[in-house]
Amino acid sequence: MTGILSLPERRFADEEVVDVVVVGTGAGGAPVLARLAAAGLRVVALEAGAPGPPRDHAADETEATELYWLAERLAGGTTPQPMGANNSGTGVGGSLLHWGAFVPRPDARDLRLRTETGRGRDWPFGLDALLPYLREVEEAIQVSGPRNYPWDPSRRYPQPPVARNQAADAMARACDSLGIRATDAPAALVTRDTEQPGFGTRESCIHCGACHQGCRNGSKAGGDTTFLPAAVLDGAEIRPNCMVTGIERDALGRVSAVIYREDGRERRQRCAALFLCAGAVETPRLLLHAGLCNGSGQVGRNYMAHVATQVWGTVDREIRPNKGYPSSLISEDMVRPADADFVGGYLVQSLGIMPVTWANQVARGRGLWGRGLTDYLAQYNRVIGIGINGDCLPYEENRLTLSDELDESGMPKPLISFSAGENEQRIHAHAERVLSRIWEEAGASDLWTLTRYAHTIGTCRMGPDGDDAVVDGRGRSFEIDNLWICDNSVFPSALSANPALTIMALGLRSADAFLGRLPA
Amino acid sequence: MQQSAAPAGDAITLFCLHALGGSARSWDGPSACLGDGVRCVGIDLPGFGDTPMPGRHEVEQLADHVAELVRVAAPVRWGLLGNSMGAKVALAVARRAEDGEAGLSGLERLVLMAGSPPSPEPIPEERRREMLQWFRDGPARDREQARIFVAANVSSPLPADREQAAVEDVLRADKRAWRAWLTVGAAEDWQQRIGVLRTPALVLAGRADADLGPDAQRALMLPHLAHGRLLVLDAGHLLPLERPKEVADAVAAFVRKDGAFPGVAAGPVLPDEAYRAFIASDRVSRRVRAALEKRMEADDPAYAPQVLTPVALALLRAVMARVLPQTSDEANQGTIDLAARLDAQLAAGGGDGWRVATLPPDAEAYERGLRTLDAVARQGAGCPFLCLDGAGQDALLHEVQAGQCRADGLSPHQMLAWFEDVRGDAVRLFVSHPATMARLGYGGIGNGGDEPRLRGFDGSHLDRREAWEPRTPPGPGRVLAETGA
Repeated sequence: MTGILSLPERRFADEEVVDVVVVGTGAGGAPVLARLAAAGLRVVALEAGAPGPPRDHAADETEATELYWLAERLAGGTTPQPMGANNSGTGVGGSLLHWGAFVPRPDARDLRLRTETGRGRDWPFGLDALLPYLREVEEAIQVSGPRNYPWDPSRRYPQPPVARNQAADAMARACDSLGIRATDAPAALVTRDTEQPGFGTRESCIHCGACHQGCRNGSKAGGDTTFLPAAVLDGAEIRPNCMVTGIERDALGRVSAVIYREDGRERRQRCAALFLCAGAVETPRLLLHAGLCNGSGQVGRNYMAHVATQVWGTVDREIRPNKGYPSSLISEDMVRPADADFVGGYLVQSLGIMPVTWANQVARGRGLWGRGLTDYLAQYNRVIGIGINGDCLPYEENRLTLSDELDESGMPKPLISFSAGENEQRIHAHAERVLSRIWEEAGASDLWTLTRYAHTIGTCRMGPDGDDAVVDGRGRSFEIDNLWICDNSVFPSALSANPALTIMALGLRSADAFLGRLPA
Repeated sequence: MQQSAAPAGDAITLFCLHALGGSARSWDGPSACLGDGVRCVGIDLPGFGDTPMPGRHEVEQLADHVAELVRVAAPVRWGLLGNSMGAKVALAVARRAEDGEAGLSGLERLVLMAGSPPSPEPIPEERRREMLQWFRDGPARDREQARIFVAANVSSPLPADREQAAVEDVLRADKRAWRAWLTVGAAEDWQQRIGVLRTPALVLAGRADADLGPDAQRALMLPHLAHGRLLVLDAGHLLPLERPKEVADAVAAFVRKDGAFPGVAAGPVLPDEAYRAFIASDRVSRRVRAALEKRMEADDPAYAPQVLTPVALALLRAVMARVLPQTSDEANQGTIDLAARLDAQLAAGGGDGWRVATLPPDAEAYERGLRTLDAVARQGAGCPFLCLDGAGQDALLHEVQAGQCRADGLSPHQMLAWFEDVRGDAVRLFVSHPATMARLGYGGIGNGGDEPRLRGFDGSHLDRREAWEPRTPPGPGRVLAETGA
């Protein structure tokens, strides 16, 4: 039987000064909490959402919207970004409850993009500094992957690769004949029954394809199946249904308490330090609302979204795109394509998809309606998809600000303005050509391209200089020395890799820095 | 109150409410033509005929008067006939009856003739102002104006005696009542109060009626009637006076009719039997099954919109029918009322977590987007959106999608963004319905029931259809071999 995360009964008193409050239990908060708890600190995580055992998830896209952050956000710019299902989650475990578990490592070149090209922005450290943490995360959450990773022969994954679905098979064959390298994707799921400390059994992946609706047997790694139960074992408290709305400071300007709403009541938890791990929308929103850490004017700026172009086609056989782990094949050959007319690059992955998500993309992105729409929808079982995750340059004017509308928390709704730049459009165009070629080789017809951007990145970037960064290379605020940030908001650039693995590695690294364990 | 001879037995009593300037005797013609089984009760509304002017003269007081007469008559079965002003009063009384007001049970039929709709009446301001100036210049002038009024509201001259009676009725009307209707009653907004009426309704419209003809009835009246049907007569505005025989025939047929009345999907839309068995199987979890069963419940044809106005709901239904045409040719297949489901979702506040910043909040965007679409239709095609045929509606939606839709209301750019939301919301509701899942051959709901160890799909045979998976409907391509087959 699938394991379960049991929340501790113990609750720190509001007036007790805990060592650290962690805001958010997703890819940033979960590893931070686990690391700090393991070091013996008294830590409490405040999570806006509710707890729920994996078995309670529903293999139904409508029911699964409970995993999304549904408080309304406003989208501006020339390429307004959908929110909701777009990589922000709610619930104990955050967006890892519905993430795709696709965990490529960041590419060393992407962290040095400015040095390489003069564009974008370097990270304050190289991949070397992150590598031990990436490996540790892969081990801690048990990533499955190929025996030999073509782009990094030294890499080893703890679990054998997950079965390929039909889109992956088709992509593998087509890439093979086109001379594009492709292999089993690194996926944060177990392919054999695995005991996870504090959680119980994570059962082997059953290829149900419903990763985005919540994994029901614990196969997929999430905070709730890995770091959070470990943290609880070490004495951490996780306090669900608590929405943080403010930060209190002492006479010296240091954080002294966190204000939050629980059951419609405002409360405050005193603390000696604060880790904000609420993601690239909620973290800057809270800081802007509280008027903190923004001497540089960088809070909210440089919002980035990966180029996430998809190409869809129809084949003359059943694909049943709901079956199997959705992203079971990867190619890193386009991380620096030879014929690029852009800086950076992208990863290619095969796609599985559930019908409502697909139909929504068709209706919005392909622009179909009427008979053309219903006829095409009927092709669901025969459609085949392939997509990318491409780097996105930071632009000052792509930013999050506070709107003049309030949401149910009483805080202003965030307004996120995002306009894809020329580099992003060139990546998109290149990817459209490559993906279309692959699908033509696979014998697909009726190809169409979905212009799409995904993930929420940036808005509180880290950097060496407090004049143009919000936190330093360890995640600590330049202005308030007991306030730390660890989530996708600190990314100085977007990278071509999907963000969650990197966020988790940053989580462990920032926690080590907080604990004084990071070499200077 | 004028009554025709009272037939015995289970006759239906029809309370007849006249137009502005009319009286109970406006119904003498149709009443005489109606045969056995129907008993007509003509009513002088307050300030008209023999009924004195009340203290206040709003739709509410007119409805009070009618309701009281119905209570006194205490019929077992009854109906309401209303012409123009009388129709708006009839709607108000019907709403009370449907809400269970004491003494008003037994309402079975509603006949609205050139009715003044629940919304403010679309009468040109100039004409309204002119009519307000009448009856202030002495008897001779009064009579002339009464004649002008009657003549302006019929498509061809009435027989002399009928015209004479109609003019007399106008003259004996209390002019305070006359002016009150023009300034207050006709302008009252009853859209939310009336909502959507369940009572079977027949809407009669005169082809030559300038303001309240067929288009106005389609656009402003029918949206409030769950089971309403429109019948167009060769007439102007005063149908009972102009076409007593045709009106009587239509009423008689409508009163006799039993069985189904027109309306949106009656009964649930269900997937085929095999898919229902699949949903019931242990492959599907209890939670998913419960959610699917809820989605399979029948839509209420008289669904009362909670966020949109009834007119906007009708517009949304029309848009949904173009965006997502649902075939209902298969046995036992109606259509899913996507518009009603969307309204319910908007009311529950269940958004998708974001909106384009240039659009107002979802509920407001829908109401305004739909009104803008209607305005474009009136501007460009010269008639309400609801009166266009499918091709005409499609042409406007193509304009919207091209960012070319210009009218008062949302901007072309806003309309473009709004229409994308419409498409997204439509497919989300449509595809998540089990009947659609069945048509797609979607097996994902069966990837794990409630057994201790979930089964999912066989990873070594993802290129096979497992025996329990639904079949893909016939199409151009090959189907998968079945595992173990």
